[in-house]
Amino acid sequence: MNSDAAKEILSAYRSSDRDGADPIFREALNQMESDSELKKWFEEQQDRDRTIREKLAGIEPPADLQAKILARIRGEKVRRFALPQVWLAAAACLVVGGIALFYSIRQTGPDRFQEFKTDAMAMVSAEGGPQLDLRTPDLAETQNYLREHQAPRDDALPSRLKSMETEGCRAFVWKQYPASLTCFRMPNGQLLHLVVINREAMGNANIPVGMKSVGDWHVMFQQKDGMLMMWATQAPMEEFKQMVVKVAAEPRLGS
Amino acid sequence: MVRTELDLESIVSELYSPLYRFAFSLSRNEAQAADLTQETFLILAKQQAQVRDITKIKSWLFTTLRREFLRGLRSQSTHPEVELKPEHQDQLVADSGVLKASDAATVLEALAGVDESYRMVLELFYLADLSYKEIAATLDIPIGTVMSRLSRGKEQLRILLTKTASPNKITPRPN
Repeated sequence: MNSDAAKEILSAYRSSDRDGADPIFREALNQMESDSELKKWFEEQQDRDRTIREKLAGIEPPADLQAKILARIRGEKVRRFALPQVWLAAAACLVVGGIALFYSIRQTGPDRFQEFKTDAMAMVSAEGGPQLDLRTPDLAETQNYLREHQAPRDDALPSRLKSMETEGCRAFVWKQYPASLTCFRMPNGQLLHLVVINREAMGNANIPVGMKSVGDWHVMFQQKDGMLMMWATQAPMEEFKQMVVKVAAEPRLGS
Repeated sequence: MVRTELDLESIVSELYSPLYRFAFSLSRNEAQAADLTQETFLILAKQQAQVRDITKIKSWLFTTLRREFLRGLRSQSTHPEVELKPEHQDQLVADSGVLKASDAATVLEALAGVDESYRMVLELFYLADLSYKEIAATLDIPIGTVMSRLSRGKEQLRILLTKTASPNKITPRPN
């Protein structure tokens, strides 16, 4: 191999940790031992490549890009599961594997909770907002709707939430368990979502406490009267804290 | 390789930045680069069942992004933001708020002046950090072609950067 051929090959070399083991580079690298001009050229080129990469790293993606991508992917996941064919296939699976499913419902732990969290986040973060069965600013109407559809709900909401307008609600079924979504309109105009499901749906999973950030969403789980409640919003953390931490800490008004 | 379930969130977390940089180098427009990046991951989410080898996800994503960009060029031939003439790129780069470091703009300017056949290989090498094998797969060209284009393209880039060198800009060492 002559020096020019070695230079052409080494032009594609990135770093020892990524390309050092590649045999195609080994011969060219070995040649440097006996070719000082090639070695000098290689060192300068590596230096230049490093500098160029560092400077190009100045192109920063928008701060919310990752969260937007994740929200769109979650939305796509929900849409795919909403396809009739998928539901037909799921129904067939339920018939064939009913017993196994029964046991899996009873036995699954953390995975089941993660699955619920992922599905619930996908639902509330769907592009254009979550799908609602009923759109109304009246909380009493949403509660009546959920009651009529036998969906779990918190009938003892704190007074602060009772005075807020709602966007609407939805009754749905997750893994054979009835569940509900209620969307509140916060004073700043952003939505605060409340997803409620029977705690039993999570099997023996431990439910994490405290607030979490999922992309640009803030989420908190709460257990109450045998129900699991998930609060989620894109409102600033401070406003979410003011709203939800007080909700969680406020003395219960009854069940 | 046995196919396992794709962990889309991890893939997004690891690759959205380099993919965005590559998109920006193609489009020279912040909004379009963000759209292209989102669209590429959405295609992956929709077609993940068709991805047989998860070790090639990175190449697949860059290939898809480039294809989507070219498709957009064909369908919007009058779109002013995707004009590839170097002088136009300079203006768009200068107008964009995305380049917080003028150094990056300087390198993009110089890249824009490299022959088009070499430029794509250089962008995949520097912005996407792809190996020569991944570049060959992304552009569907032989490995030897990748190496020769990288070699010639780097030399062109070095000369262009030397010409535009200033206190704020990249200063290559003498060769």
